[in-house]
Amino acid sequence: MKKILIHIIIVITFIIIYLLQAVFFSEFTIAGIMPNIFVIFMLYIGLYMGKENGITYGIIFGIFIDIWIGKTLGLTSIALAIIGFISGTLDKTFSKDSRIIILLMGSICTIVYEIMLYVMQYLVLKINVEILQFIKILSIETIYNVLLIIIIYPLMKLTGYEIENEIKGDKILTRYF
Amino acid sequence: MEKNKKGGIIGVIITIIILIILVFITNINSENISIIENVANNIVMPIENALTYLKNKLNNNDKFFENIDELKNENSSLKQENSELEQKLREFEIIKNENEQLKQQLNLAEKYSEFTTVPGTIISRDISNYSKTLVINVGSDNGIEEKMTVIADEGLVGYVISTTNKTSKIQTIIDSASATSCLASSTRDTMICKGTIENKSQLSASNIATDARIIQGDSVETSGLGGIYVKGIHVGRIKKVNEGSNKTDSYAIIETAVDFEKLETVLVITN
Repeated sequence: MKKILIHIIIVITFIIIYLLQAVFFSEFTIAGIMPNIFVIFMLYIGLYMGKENGITYGIIFGIFIDIWIGKTLGLTSIALAIIGFISGTLDKTFSKDSRIIILLMGSICTIVYEIMLYVMQYLVLKINVEILQFIKILSIETIYNVLLIIIIYPLMKLTGYEIENEIKGDKILTRYF
Repeated sequence: MEKNKKGGIIGVIITIIILIILVFITNINSENISIIENVANNIVMPIENALTYLKNKLNNNDKFFENIDELKNENSSLKQENSELEQKLREFEIIKNENEQLKQQLNLAEKYSEFTTVPGTIISRDISNYSKTLVINVGSDNGIEEKMTVIADEGLVGYVISTTNKTSKIQTIIDSASATSCLASSTRDTMICKGTIENKSQLSASNIATDARIIQGDSVETSGLGGIYVKGIHVGRIKKVNEGSNKTDSYAIIETAVDFEKLETVLVITN
């Protein structure tokens, strides 16, 4: 029952995050660059709910974004699913108790996500290659995401362990012993 | 443990402050800078005046002020005259703007009179830094189909890439996946205008013929080639021409006629 509730909360959070990204962060920019809070959200899901949930939610949320605003169905979906998988895998190697590790994971995920999406768009949509501008935007976006992770990290940690205990259950113990 | 928690909260607050400062500093425009300059001037000006007065006194330059009353009177009458003139100037500016707007509307009405259009309001913008698609509140129920041209009062916006019953998705001309076949209005030279990821009001025009005579400031319109855009729709103006090391590398920067940041309503050409 509690598991179902968690999944419902995750979906509601996604809707809130979408609205935040579309309405608030489109105005609250650093030099005209928005952060990408979907990546932070996928990192959170991957870390605390495991890579299976990370991939599933990545695909579902990605399809929703692609249908609503994307140019081709599937690109965002693949990229978000990969971020869910990467963060789930990183959780097994690194401890998420360290703020620095989470920040590093956040920046790596942002960079990987945007590069992946850019390459896929280049291959599928034949977009123009503007490497310098891309690096500039990506750098600002990564810094923005890191700042946001610093701000929401206490909340991530607090809710994350609750969710982890419920979703992963007994599996969690085998990691440490 | 308690100390760590406190440190964490302080860290979060500091980060929030840094973020807010960063957002404000990077989005500050020249208008705001001039306000800051004015404030600084108002603070510094009395001190500067006092110092100048003192310097004049010391150098016996203060004979200027002997007929100070006369000067004051003259100054106040000039000020009044100046404010009257400013008022007149403002009135003229308003009339001039109105005149330009009316002229533009008249031209547009004549120019696009042969098209049947459906108006739509933008309900969503792209959430990514790298693409610039829009969603409008009219769909197949209103007769909108894929590949229909979308315009605004000022000029070309893009084309419809997909529709649902009530909504349509538009790929704008400033999207980096967009390529629009255009021609310069006066010289009739053709070019391909592509969107860039960095700028929301500029296009990069390439594939310019080696013998083309591109003029800065010239108007650019759609050529009708490619089968998507209707011919003769205003795209923007040539802002800059960059000559490459050889003629084939040259490209031009086009300033779009439509201000995509402020765009709210569009027209979809249905015929």
